Amino acid sequence: MTDMRKLFKDILSTKGVKGIMLFSFSGDLIFKEFISPVNGEPGQRDWRFFIESLEDMRETDLVFEKGRIYIRKTEMGYLVVLMALFVPIAMIRLNCDILLPAIRQSKPDRGFGRFFKKK
Amino acid sequence: MIKNVLLVDDDSEMLHALKEGFKKYQESFAVVLAEDGLQALERLKSNLISLVVTDLKMPHMDGFELLAHIMVHYPDIPVIIITGYSTPEMEQLAREGGAVGYIAKPFLIENLARQILTTLRKESEGGTLHNVSSGMFLQLIEMEQKTCTIRLEDKTSHKKGILFFNEGELFDARVNNMQGKAAAIEIFSWDAVNLSIQNGCALKENKIQSDLQALILEAMRQKDEDQPEEVPEGVMEQMEQGEEAPADLLKKLKERIENQIGQQCGLEDLYQDEFWDNRVAQLSKTGEFFHFGRLMLAYIDKGDTNDYILIPGGKTTVITVDPKCPRDKILRVISE
Repeated sequence: MTDMRKLFKDILSTKGVKGIMLFSFSGDLIFKEFISPVNGEPGQRDWRFFIESLEDMRETDLVFEKGRIYIRKTEMGYLVVLMALFVPIAMIRLNCDILLPAIRQSKPDRGFGRFFKKK
Repeated sequence: MIKNVLLVDDDSEMLHALKEGFKKYQESFAVVLAEDGLQALERLKSNLISLVVTDLKMPHMDGFELLAHIMVHYPDIPVIIITGYSTPEMEQLAREGGAVGYIAKPFLIENLARQILTTLRKESEGGTLHNVSSGMFLQLIEMEQKTCTIRLEDKTSHKKGILFFNEGELFDARVNNMQGKAAAIEIFSWDAVNLSIQNGCALKENKIQSDLQALILEAMRQKDEDQPEEVPEGVMEQMEQGEEAPADLLKKLKERIENQIGQQCGLEDLYQDEFWDNRVAQLSKTGEFFHFGRLMLAYIDKGDTNDYILIPGGKTTVITVDPKCPRDKILRVISE
């Protein structure tokens, strides 16, 4: 989790960004970090329908009356960035471009190593 | 600023007699009624109360318990005790508990009113100001290192709040159910206020522990963020309202994008398609969950030869664009 936090540090420190969530392709919330309090408890919500609605989308930018949600497909699932309307979206896109390879590297290990402790 | 006086008595006839009797003082104070201590606590949470007048013997929570609660949680609110079972010991207990007045029943309404008015006058002994900007005024308080209690009323929403300053430091704030930092930020977001100053501060402990300037800036930032972007009624609204957008509306939207961005806008096609309706509904729900309001637009990149801009409505309006199009510009033009 600390690694994830480090990974998303630049996005989270952008003025107006409210939080980040990372979902698996099956709708499980893998990681969440909020800068300002958000309504409800995202960890308690069933996100499956939302994730299904993103099927075959590579990048989605949603503009609401009072905020914006940017969604980016990664190798682990979908990265969802919540922000205020004034946030420069190009900056968020650029940050995502930069960190996507790192997300790929932080994928869970598939070898035997994942069963054993490292010396 | 009309002040609120909370009257607490389990004798409803007594309560209503007092309410009627105080009508002639309505330009000085308004009354809020509660039939026992527990109800009084609810009223204290939801109203900015300047003074409490309470009976002693009541079910659920008696007057002494209420007095003790007020002294801990609302030390700025003076309490006057009225009782039908008065003894010198009881009066001593009430005074020691922090009551500023003690009146034995039966009493003349005018006598109680006089005591209420005298006590309330202390709330504005430091002066009153009308139509001032709270941020600017409070910075003065900080600069002058004043110790005072300030009661404010927002001119727009008529919400009332209270701030406690000790030697220029903001110790606490209260507005409706909020207390502390959150309440201070809410008060600092008020543009124009009427306020009254009481010398002295009943709080001894700093519950805010934050720089006044930082709180004022935070209030400004939150206010900017909460300000919905004003979108004048245009083609988009007409599309959202109608079941199906007529061809000329779609044509108008296409023309607007091309006129404002030029031929390099990358616009390929514009049509309505039910295929997207369910997806748009799901995406809208996510915004609602986070209190982001209505979904206005969605930009979708599927890695196809075209990207899609969706406008929710009776039927989803779809604009297909070249992936290299100036997407932010197009989104801005459509929302205008």
